[in-house]
This record gives sequence, C-alpha cells and structure tokens, in this order.
Amino acid sequence: MEQKLRQEAKALLEQGRVDYIIGYEKGSLKFTTTPLIIKDKNDVDRLVVNPFIVNNLSVFLTEIRGRIGIVAKGCDSRSIISLIQDNKVSREDVVIIGVPCSGIIDLCKVERLVGEERDELDDVTREGDKVVIVVDGRKREFPIEKVLFDNCLGCKFPTPQEYDVLLGEATSPVSEMTASRARIAELEGMSSQERWNFWKGEFNRCIRCYACRNVCPACFCERCFVEETEPQWVSPIPKWQDNLMFQMTRNIHVAGRCTDCGECERACPMNIPLRSMARKMYEIVEELFSYEAGLDEAAPPLLTAYEAVEAEDLIR
Amino acid sequence: MAGNKKINKRDIGKLLNKWSQGFTVFVPSREDKVTAFAKWDGVNTNFMEWYRNTVISPKTNFFPLMEEMFSFREEEDGYHTELPSSDKHKQLIFGIRPCDAKALSILDMAFKEGYEDPYYLSRRKDSLLVGLGCTNPYDSCFCTSLGGGPFDSTYVDIMLIDIGDELLIEEVTNAGRELVARTAGLEEVTEADKARAKEVKKSSYNKVTKKINTEGIQKKLQACFEDKDFWEKVSTKCLSCGICTFLCPTCYCFDINDDSFKKQGARFRSWDSCAFPIYTRMPMENPRSEKWRRVRQRVCHKYEFFPIDFDVIACVGCGRCIRQCPVNWDITEILNNLPTKA
Amino acid sequence: MKREAEWEPKLLSFCCRWCSYAGADLAGTSRKKYPANIRIIRVPCSGRVDPLFIIKALQLGFDGVLVSGCYPGDCHYQTGNYYARRRIAITKKFLEYMGVESQRIQASWVSASEGGKFAEVVSEIVKELKEVGPNQLFADEK
Repeated sequence: MEQKLRQEAKALLEQGRVDYIIGYEKGSLKFTTTPLIIKDKNDVDRLVVNPFIVNNLSVFLTEIRGRIGIVAKGCDSRSIISLIQDNKVSREDVVIIGVPCSGIIDLCKVERLVGEERDELDDVTREGDKVVIVVDGRKREFPIEKVLFDNCLGCKFPTPQEYDVLLGEATSPVSEMTASRARIAELEGMSSQERWNFWKGEFNRCIRCYACRNVCPACFCERCFVEETEPQWVSPIPKWQDNLMFQMTRNIHVAGRCTDCGECERACPMNIPLRSMARKMYEIVEELFSYEAGLDEAAPPLLTAYEAVEAEDLIR
Repeated sequence: MAGNKKINKRDIGKLLNKWSQGFTVFVPSREDKVTAFAKWDGVNTNFMEWYRNTVISPKTNFFPLMEEMFSFREEEDGYHTELPSSDKHKQLIFGIRPCDAKALSILDMAFKEGYEDPYYLSRRKDSLLVGLGCTNPYDSCFCTSLGGGPFDSTYVDIMLIDIGDELLIEEVTNAGRELVARTAGLEEVTEADKARAKEVKKSSYNKVTKKINTEGIQKKLQACFEDKDFWEKVSTKCLSCGICTFLCPTCYCFDINDDSFKKQGARFRSWDSCAFPIYTRMPMENPRSEKWRRVRQRVCHKYEFFPIDFDVIACVGCGRCIRQCPVNWDITEILNNLPTKA
Repeated sequence: MKREAEWEPKLLSFCCRWCSYAGADLAGTSRKKYPANIRIIRVPCSGRVDPLFIIKALQLGFDGVLVSGCYPGDCHYQTGNYYARRRIAITKKFLEYMGVESQRIQASWVSASEGGKFAEVVSEIVKELKEVGPNQLFADEK
C-alpha cells in the first residue's frame, strides 16, 4: 500500500496535478505518525500508511491554498465531502487518495491492556484481526477490537466514500456499535441530574487549550463564537460553566458536519470523553433527519436544509 | 553532597505524614483522570508504582490555570475591592522531577523581573521541593541536552534516589537539611547503597536518548529569524492549539479578565498561549497573525530571547510538548535542523 | 436565597416579530390571562435564534427558554422557521442528553391570530417549569 501511495504521490506532483501532498510520515516517538505536507517529489518516500495514522488530515484543507493530494481514511473522506458541501473546499482542487481503513490503533488502549507505557513496548503490529504486542521480548496477542479507537469499532464507512485513487481493496466494518457507544449507553441510563454532574466534573478539568476545536475539520469558522467579545458569549476564564457552554455550543455548530472521526477526544490532553458528546449528536441527527455527514457532496448541509414535515413532535 | 539517610519505600506514607505537619503535601496523582500533583490524601502512596512524570506540570501549584486576583463590588459610596483570602499554606511538592524543579527556577526569574508578582512569589516562598530522580525517563525527554539530567539536584531542596526497595535522601539546601534533621526514623546509608545510587544515576543518564545541540543555538536562531520559508515549512502541521504552552512547565503567559455580574465580580488571571491567533488581540491586533510567526515565537522565546535576558534557555527538556501534541510537532527536530546559511 | 415557596420560574421567550410576537400582543389586547413569568425578546424570525442564545439563557439562570415562530409554511421569509426547527430539535435533544431537563427547552408555533394559544402555551410551560424546579444547572455550589 505504501509503495503504491508513494508512486501515486510522485506522479501527482510530477504531472503538476497537485501543488501539495498531505499524508503521514513516521513520527518522532515510538509507533506514532505525524502529518506530512510536501511539495517536493523527492520527499514522497517519507509517506507511510500503517495502523497508527490517527490524524484527520482534512483539517489542513481549509488552511493550505492550492491543489492538494490528500491521504484519506473512511472518516477523513467524509470530512472532505462535508467541506465540499459547505463550499470550503472545491472538489476540483483535491485529489483524494483513499485508504481503506480497518481501524486505527489507540495506543492508550494498548498501554492499558499490557500495563506498560508506549515507549516501553518493543513492538505493536497488526496481523489480520489480531494485534501482536511485544513487551520485554515477550509476544502477546489480543483481538484487534481491544486496541482500536472507539469510533473505529462502530465505523460504518471504513472505505473512503469519495476518492480519486483507492489504495487496496474496499474493507468491511470492523465490529458492531455496542462497544463503540458503551459510555453513551451508560450515560443514557442515568438521570438528568447524574448526567449533568458527570459532565460538570469532566469540564472542571478543561484547560481551554482549544485542541478539540483546532483538530476538528468541521470547525472552520474564521472567528469562533468563543472568541467574540461584543457580546462576550463565553468567558475566557476556564471555569467549568463556560468550558461546558463552549463545548455544547461547538457540538451543536458542527452537527451534521461531524463524521465521528474521534479527533476531538484523541487530542484532548485532559482526557475529557468528548466523543461521547460528538457521537451522541451524530446519532440525534441521524434519528431526527436520517442524515449522516459527508456521504453526498451534492447534498445541502444539514442545517441549511429542511423537509416540510419533520421533528414536529418537539414543537407545541 | 551524597546523603547519609535513606528510607524504605513502604515507609513513605509515614514520612509524608510527618511532613504534613507544617506543610501541605502534594504528590503525583491520577485521581482526576489526568496525571497531576494533588494534595496527598494521607494514605495512598501507590504513585511510586506508576509515576514517571505528570501531564500537568507542577507549575500549576504556583501559577494555577486560573486564579482570582481581587474581587470588587459597587456600592452607593463607590467601588470596593478585596483581595482573595490567601491560601497561605506552605507547599511541599513530593516527587517533583529535576526538569520541573528547574522550570520553577525559570519561572522565578520571569515573575521577579521588573515587577515582583505577589501571587506566584507568595506561593513559592516557603515551599519545599522534594525531588525524585528519574530512573525511567520517557523517550521524549531531552533534559540532558539542556544542562539538566535525570538526577540533577540543583533546583530541589531534597533529592531522592530510588535504589530499589529504598530511597536515598540527599539534602541539597538548608531548608532541606533542616527538614531531614527534624525527621526521625530515617536509616543510615551504607557504602553499598551509595555505590548502587551511583549506578542508578549513570544508567538513567544514558536512558535519555533524545538530544538537541544547543551550541551556538542563539546565533543560529538569530541567523534564520527572517527565513520565512523555513518557519513556514516547520509550522504547517501546527494546529495553533494551546497544548504545548499550557503543559509547558516554563510557559508563563496569562490573560486577565473580569468575571462580573450586575454590580459585583472578580478579576481573574488565567493561562494564555502565544499559539492562539487571538493572543494579545484585546489592546490591538496580534502582531503574529500568521501561524509561522507564532511557531517561531515559541521556539525563539525559549531558545533565543529568554537567554538574552536571563542567561538560561527557557526549556528544560521535559518533552510534554512533544508527547501531548496532537500532530506530534517536535521542537527537537526543528532545533536540530535549523538552516545554516552562510 | 429565596425560600422555595416564593420561587417563581423565569421563562425567556424568543418570539418572531411576524407571528408569535403579534400573537402575544393579541393575547394582551384580548385580555387573555397568562403567567407573568415570561420575558419576551422580539426577534425578526425564529430562524434568528442561535442555539447559543438558548444555552446562554440557561447559564444566566432562566428556568426555561421558549422559541416561538410562525407555523411551517407561514414564515415571512419563506423558510426561516424550517431552519429554526432543525436547530431547536437538535439543541433540545442534545441538551437533554447532557442533563438539561427536557421541559427547560421549549418551542411553539403561534400565529398572529392565536392570542389564545399563546396564553395556553405559556401557562402550560410555566406549570411544567414549576414541577421541574429552579434551574441550578450552572450554579457553583452543589
């Protein structure tokens, strides 16, 4: 897959079809990968594809000007479609190099599973539906579901929904949704008061670094409401009330754009379960309007469209 | 400076209990789902099993995420202000890593220069740092490139060296010596312990494998300051979030805001980040509206500007910015690949 | 702190200027009775209401928020209330999940001729809010 990617990227740059290639390269820490943005064809050998390509690279599309070749997994491709729907990206300007994705490995889960931190592991490799973790020279095998990100577990669209080139064969969903929404189900079983207290506790930790927003491809506003000063909707003082208000409003703003790529939760340095908000919003949108983000570039964005009759039971 | 006392690890609870007389003891904790220094609960010492370093650096003990500077209210005879009831407890930070202790010495300079910051300095005064040498540094650590090391005891009051079942106690400052002298029940060290400590130190030092070359770094940065192409290239993947600055033990930028409702409220200061596009936008525009300028600022402030004023690099090599970055932006890669144009 | 018995809910309402605001007006001129717990903000269209307004109102301590506009098909701007409907629906469902009691977020269609309906809607909502109790969501102490 990697070889094919490098060939494609090289050809795209050589033929002048794109100005940049956005992909992944090996990261500076064990097992990690990092976004790679190149314009020189001699750099294509740095491109990698492996089970650790976490980032949703479409976040860079609204920032980098020019024609872009971009490596996209299933969820990333939907973010790109969503950006096209919102007129933030023009389809002609992107060449989507699709990666059929059978799930990305969550190193935090690996750490919990073997009780060692990532830099102390000798190796983590995927072999089919198994993950092989080598600790202190000892090989240990686990089912792959144990180490995949939560959002990968219930992924309905592992194969890119839109692409110009597909690296490899289309793949099928990894497992059912149950494990993926375990925390949401748990919260749904609580009383209003318990749920609110849960979130209150979580957002008490928030340091307002805005990584969740900045890592999110759906958050493309040039000026975020949280930074408005006249009027000042949200105080910049990181008290839980304002932290929570920020995140709730952010989720409403990206409703119908969020593809459940899980980046918000992954980026959060304070381990706030942000995907349990984002995923729930995704489900609400699906349930109310039978709409899922990033499946059809010709469809109008969720909040700019309507049906004559819908959601009437919520209105007096 | 080798210490003469030691303590068995299973007696740490007793030790902390003793030290709790006169100090509020803070220890590494993961109670609140993210690792940080938290008030010791009087019982739990299991941090010795998992603690390598905390995600949230102990700078928060002295320069918290947010703090009230004063409160105010309007009455018929005008405005009244009031200082917050001060938390005048003496803090004992147990287990602080050498890099974070050094970082506090850097913050001391920043908060003393020109204007003496009462909030930070009153917390720092009378606090005691009990360092714990790193027997197992992260792969993102690069303290040894910045004059520090996993057992650098320069900036702590007491240094503890983990020699297996026991901790060797090195008194560094007078305050540290006094505390150890007052602490009953410590055992005497043997020659064998000292030899073991030496070994541990050496092997840990070698475990820090990430390196940067700081030789002539100021000059190199000066030379490439205007190299827009270089800075653009190294900043493209940055997301302009505040993780690196907020988790950095030496970053000290803050923002001041009022939290008021009707006729009363309080003035707060909270962390701010030079990575944010809106940084300093309240008095005017952010002079660093482009991302590459902000990335350059972060690198140059630590490695070029701060040394001009204080003669020390404002980075201690703790690696938090690398480990926690959502795009794995690595400052060491930038510093090691500075353009060397003639 | 007010005693429980004295507590009266505060309901903030965003009323569209063409239908619901006129409906509220008519309720008044036709001497329909409805609780004085409501505070009305006139908006050009229910589509003007950003979900942020709703959340902010809750943060400021309002016990409930009502967004009221023209019936589907009657919007002065053709489609504003349709957009509003989607926004309010997701906001309501989402905030419920977060732990906001469902009674606190309300929506209604009230036309300019429905003074009676306006009075009824407000009465019902205020009654429900009294059952839910004061909004302590954003309060600092537990």
